[in-house]
Amino acid sequence: MSGAAPAVAPGSTTVGAVKARGLWIRGLRKWYGDTRALDGLDLDARPGEILGVAGPNGAGKSTLIKILAGETRSDAGEITLDGVSWHADSDRNRVAVVHQEPQLFPNLSVAENMMVGREGTRAVVRKLDDQERSLMRDLAILEYADRPLSAVPLAIQQRVEIGRALARDAAIFLFDEPNSALTQEESTDLFRRMHLLADAGRVVFLVSHRIAELAEHADRVALILDGLCTTVLEGDEVTQEGIAAGLVTGQAAQKAEGGVVVTVGDDAATALRLTDWAHGGGEYRGIHLHVRIGEIVAIVGVEGSGARELVRSIAGFERSTGQIEVGLRPGGSAVAAGTSLVSADRQTSLFTNLTIGDNMVSRLSGEITRGGGALRRGRMLQIAEELRERFQVKATSVQQPIRSLSGGNQQKVAIAAAIVKRPEVLVLEEPTRGVDVGSKREIYRLMRAYASEGHAVIIYCTEIPEVFETADLAYVVSDGRLSDPLVVMTYPDVESLARAVTRLERHGTEPALPAVAAASA
Amino acid sequence: MAENTSGTAAAPSGAGPTATERWSGRALAAGVRVGGLLIAILIVVVVFALLSKPNTFLTVTNAVGVMRSMSTIAVVALGLTLVIVVGEIDLSFGYMYGLASILIGVAWVVWGWPIWLAIPLAFAAAVCLGAINSFLVTVLKIPSFIVTLGTGQLVFGTTLLVSNTATLNPAYPPPGKVVPQDQVDWFFGLSNQHLPLGIPMQAIWMTVVAIIIGFILSRSLFGFRLKAIGGNPVAAELARLPIRKYKFAAFILCSLLASLAAMLDFAFIGSVQPNAGLSLLFPVFAAVIIGGASLAGGRGTAIGTLSGALLLAIIANGLALLSAGSYLSNFVLGGVTIAAVVLDRFTQSLRK
Repeated sequence: MSGAAPAVAPGSTTVGAVKARGLWIRGLRKWYGDTRALDGLDLDARPGEILGVAGPNGAGKSTLIKILAGETRSDAGEITLDGVSWHADSDRNRVAVVHQEPQLFPNLSVAENMMVGREGTRAVVRKLDDQERSLMRDLAILEYADRPLSAVPLAIQQRVEIGRALARDAAIFLFDEPNSALTQEESTDLFRRMHLLADAGRVVFLVSHRIAELAEHADRVALILDGLCTTVLEGDEVTQEGIAAGLVTGQAAQKAEGGVVVTVGDDAATALRLTDWAHGGGEYRGIHLHVRIGEIVAIVGVEGSGARELVRSIAGFERSTGQIEVGLRPGGSAVAAGTSLVSADRQTSLFTNLTIGDNMVSRLSGEITRGGGALRRGRMLQIAEELRERFQVKATSVQQPIRSLSGGNQQKVAIAAAIVKRPEVLVLEEPTRGVDVGSKREIYRLMRAYASEGHAVIIYCTEIPEVFETADLAYVVSDGRLSDPLVVMTYPDVESLARAVTRLERHGTEPALPAVAAASA
Repeated sequence: MAENTSGTAAAPSGAGPTATERWSGRALAAGVRVGGLLIAILIVVVVFALLSKPNTFLTVTNAVGVMRSMSTIAVVALGLTLVIVVGEIDLSFGYMYGLASILIGVAWVVWGWPIWLAIPLAFAAAVCLGAINSFLVTVLKIPSFIVTLGTGQLVFGTTLLVSNTATLNPAYPPPGKVVPQDQVDWFFGLSNQHLPLGIPMQAIWMTVVAIIIGFILSRSLFGFRLKAIGGNPVAAELARLPIRKYKFAAFILCSLLASLAAMLDFAFIGSVQPNAGLSLLFPVFAAVIIGGASLAGGRGTAIGTLSGALLLAIIANGLALLSAGSYLSNFVLGGVTIAAVVLDRFTQSLRK
């Protein structure tokens, strides 16, 4: 699709002559240090339609949204709105972002939130004007006007966000995973409002991981991969299968070498067993899971499905009820001794004030001390040096600050720190988020090596190619329920696996559809 | 990993790192900081030597005086450094200093306890305060600023209650009380000994404390983990580091060192009053901050804090010798503290 767009040199004034309506993005580039987030992305959004945006984590979706919202600047490229060159940071009133977490003022009332930024210049705080009242009536939030924002449900807060944007006559609406924390009815209402916005001639972006919703609500779906818009699906192409397949094609996904052949019912020793496992806050319930030594198990699920919380609970970091067994020992002490977690966010998995080496040994105690609690500095360096070699961390010395490393190498350090105590169950949350392709391969190789040394690896995944490349078994969490396992090696290609996962995700939130194609099951 | 490493001794990496490797990285950053401080101290010394009258500032007697005057602040500041490194704050140490000296004085002089029971009483109170502070911080999750602001007042109230707001002097016990002379001699001896060059006894105590805290912060697992916890508490929790235990230890050590300083000052001065320690808040915090500890946690050294206390003591001493008014020393001390942090930001941005 992007190839069909007329080539326009950045800064050229001929755009207006093309009678461009809507938002045109040409050659958008953005680098974060050495990491390329956007690599010359082209995309057109037309008024009156909902443009779906899909893509794996780290493909550049959120960077695109941030640039459109004016939260960050692009390094190169041009954006035009109705043929006129446009920048969000100079014209912020034209664009509205609806996040999962509304960017509002929780300490103010709903009415005050509607008025923030347009309070007028009088000393006395003004009341809602007629236009605002009628907007709020349309959005069914007028009855909440005097309540503090923090006291109303998330869905209402999002409507306040929409109302604020409408009050300042925004032309572009960016919905960024807006409904991951909403109930079914609230989501339905939100999508209805999205369609109303589009029908009123506004540009509406919908960024989502939920393929079913994109297929149902988007008029076109742009697929973002590696910082480029690779395809725009239109008309009949906008189907769940089409989006799922489009997201994984061109990804050189291949089954990692040396994977153990696992079939359900195999008699390997138990590494982990969950019985009647339920989250303290209701994110998941009735979970039964059995993971054997030597397996890499992927737990798949979109944000809000409960999958992330389930994975964290295995390492003891979410309050849960039910029985847990690690190795063959039950209970909390077995979890503490036998599991290690690497969180998805490196802000929470690394000690930024320490060196690479110190990060690697930060979970050790007896191995790096002698009598009196004195550190064995030489031993610490030796262990770190060996880990650096084994993990191929690209650093001249383990004494460098951790901040000097690229994202991929930082992630290797985080995983090394978790592996160093040799937990029976290694729990990784999105192990390759924001990681370059080379480091990804390394991390997959290390995960496989660790599993085959007599441990189990459990990963929380949002990307199907990652599941295809690394996992032996995949479970899909949808609406807090765990699916039956998918045996990854029985899928010939990543597309068929993606279709199977999508089907399982859909079943959790919708009444079961007539079987689309059970060929791969 | 652990069992593997011994098996790969033949690998080239098995050879131990060289001494220079050991001193790169982390040590460098701390070294730059302390080096900068020592240069600042030298400059201040040269300036005062030029400004002051001959044979007043650059004399052995004056140097000894500076050492004594810095020792109280340094001992308390070394304890506070532990709390700051683990990412918390303690505002109650000054009141703890007051309570410790009053408890020793009252138990010994008024209640007639032997000195070797009065001292443990003060230290027990310090352990209690540290435990209460860390309980409120780690278990009830109340910010340490608020906790110690409150407990400081509770402690001060206790001090006033116990002392009956009176000044105590073992040489002049209240009517009807007797303080055995041998106990007086032993106690005053803690801070008054005839040492070569007239080196004050308190400087020896300070050195011992500095060596212990220095070992803890840069050579022990305890200090390593204090820095990790202070640097990223969330990561520390996910790595299952014993956060609660370590914060307990840090708060208790901070209270204990404030009490130690109180005891040594009491022994040196010979008398004690309830408002002792109230003026410690600024110089102790200033010493820690000038010494390079980050209030955000995760950074701090014993040598830095010690140098910070030395710089403050030299400035205070030099200004006193120049007969500068007290307002001027307030200006200078306040300015130096802020300048130290500004300089720190500047050098850090240069390194990037």
